[in-house]
Amino acid sequence: MLDNSRPSEGIRFEELILDDRVHSTLYTDSEVFEAEMDSIFRNGWVFICHDSEIPKAGDFVRRNVGRDPVFAVRGRDGEISVIVNRCAHRGNIICQEERGNAKAFVCQYHGWAYDTKGGLVDVPYPAGFKGDFSCHGLERLAKVDSYQGFVFASFNPTVPSLGDHLGRATELIDRAVEMSPVGRINLSGGWVRHQLNCNWKMLPENDTDGYHVNFVHPSFAQAIRSNYDEAVLQDEESLKSEAKDWGNGHTELNFSPSYSRPLEWFGCAEDRYPSYSKALREAYGQEKGDKILLDGPPHAVIFPNLFLGEMNIVRFEPVAPGVCLHIHTPMYLEGVDDDVNQRILRQSEGALGPTAFLLADDSVIAERTQLALAGKGGWLDLSRGAEREVTDDNGVVVGHLTDETSNRGFWRHYKQVMQGPDQSSPTAAAAAA
Amino acid sequence: MVTIEERLRVEEFLFKEARLADESRYSEWEALAEDDMHYWVPAEAGQDPDDGRISILNDNRTRLATRIRQLNTGVRHAQVPPSRMCRIISNVEIETIADGEYFVRSNVVLYEYRIQADKKMEVWPARVEHKLRMRDGEMKMFSKHIHLLNSEGPVRGLSFII
Repeated sequence: MLDNSRPSEGIRFEELILDDRVHSTLYTDSEVFEAEMDSIFRNGWVFICHDSEIPKAGDFVRRNVGRDPVFAVRGRDGEISVIVNRCAHRGNIICQEERGNAKAFVCQYHGWAYDTKGGLVDVPYPAGFKGDFSCHGLERLAKVDSYQGFVFASFNPTVPSLGDHLGRATELIDRAVEMSPVGRINLSGGWVRHQLNCNWKMLPENDTDGYHVNFVHPSFAQAIRSNYDEAVLQDEESLKSEAKDWGNGHTELNFSPSYSRPLEWFGCAEDRYPSYSKALREAYGQEKGDKILLDGPPHAVIFPNLFLGEMNIVRFEPVAPGVCLHIHTPMYLEGVDDDVNQRILRQSEGALGPTAFLLADDSVIAERTQLALAGKGGWLDLSRGAEREVTDDNGVVVGHLTDETSNRGFWRHYKQVMQGPDQSSPTAAAAAA
Repeated sequence: MVTIEERLRVEEFLFKEARLADESRYSEWEALAEDDMHYWVPAEAGQDPDDGRISILNDNRTRLATRIRQLNTGVRHAQVPPSRMCRIISNVEIETIADGEYFVRSNVVLYEYRIQADKKMEVWPARVEHKLRMRDGEMKMFSKHIHLLNSEGPVRGLSFII
């Protein structure tokens, strides 16, 4: 841990999170929220950006890690640093633009200048500065690592490796990037920042909840014919999609089993984009190419703040116990014709964000849930399908699409993280020691 | 320079369009839109609709029709019941694009009472650009671009007609 004064010390998570239910104070209590900012967003791995957002030396983007303002910047050596956006002198915002390119970052308050690694390089009126430049750099996040271009960081110098955190879920990220025939995605489309007045945990929960679709989204089904018809709008026995718990809080709705023809997930026939299908089969071979075209992209949450939302990438950002942001961008593919990415963009605008056919309704439902949890609150049930889920050969727990397998997986990991290494699994305790 | 009569026709259109949107009379509002309608809420200042950057909303006529169909289902939760709204329109400037076609700039402040969720008042200030066309003696719109002051966000749910 970073320090000995854990804010979660007074909170008995083992009494608030049971196997089949969670208590509503987890969504409303400010002490719980403070503890999450520490245990999850400072001590664990958090998704920051994709390396395609900052391809050149000096490119930067601003982000928040929990509530801490940071920016990610590519140095002249090509390495990405994640730096706290706060001048080491008097605490002013150092990087003012949301994105851009800079050779140096100069504080607009007193002119202290920093390089792209956060090192202090210049102080105006140096005769009065008796400090050591090397001790007055910007605070850098202790760990930065990436997988398939997805950049993660942590304030915690002793956090277990990113590989340990992602575990089996690297397969989900692989599936996302393999939608491109050259295995590369590009997040250059910009982000829409949608504010929901609900607790941030409702975002990963709802994004992998397969039970709500018929009830929250009937207007979508009635207004549009889409791949969702086959995937989710059927009776219980004929639904073939699955809710999955990949471990470490990573969860998925696997729609692939419901698709019967290539590009069904894209809402079109295969001959709509013949060069895309051809490129995938040439790149990955006939068999795997066919499988990618049939299965489509993952619909999965990487704990705690990344959603691989089919052809969208989403960041979750906590603001306060009852306020969060759902921030999305189209997942553009490298190595495809422009019309494929054009369709991805239009679908992204249709599905996610404040005006979307889907998420606008999810957000109202989430906000009503937050209202219902006010005051003393009560228990929220998580038991659905516990008796019929199975663990597959890879250790992934698989349930019926409408079962709460995914949310149980989220909460199991959350409980372990929030209780801290003392009470979590021996591996995690050993790694953090 | 447009004539006083043209100005009156344009302003009349803006007020009617605003009232139909305020009152969530979706199909009547939709009937004001031409087949080449572009209904757009950019996500960034200075954005171009075709630059590959994501928009908050970017509807051609087909998608706008889908949007109206969804609102008309009666089970679009985000607008059940519909937000109570009133918009104030000001600073109307009109240019002639072609014979019977106008480019219209206005400033709009929309007050939205979110009766379907947290019952809070939301304020949506925007610079709005319409393109209007006289057709068979009636004014119609073929473009409405809404530049929200807070488009870079955070942006609250926006499921009504803006």
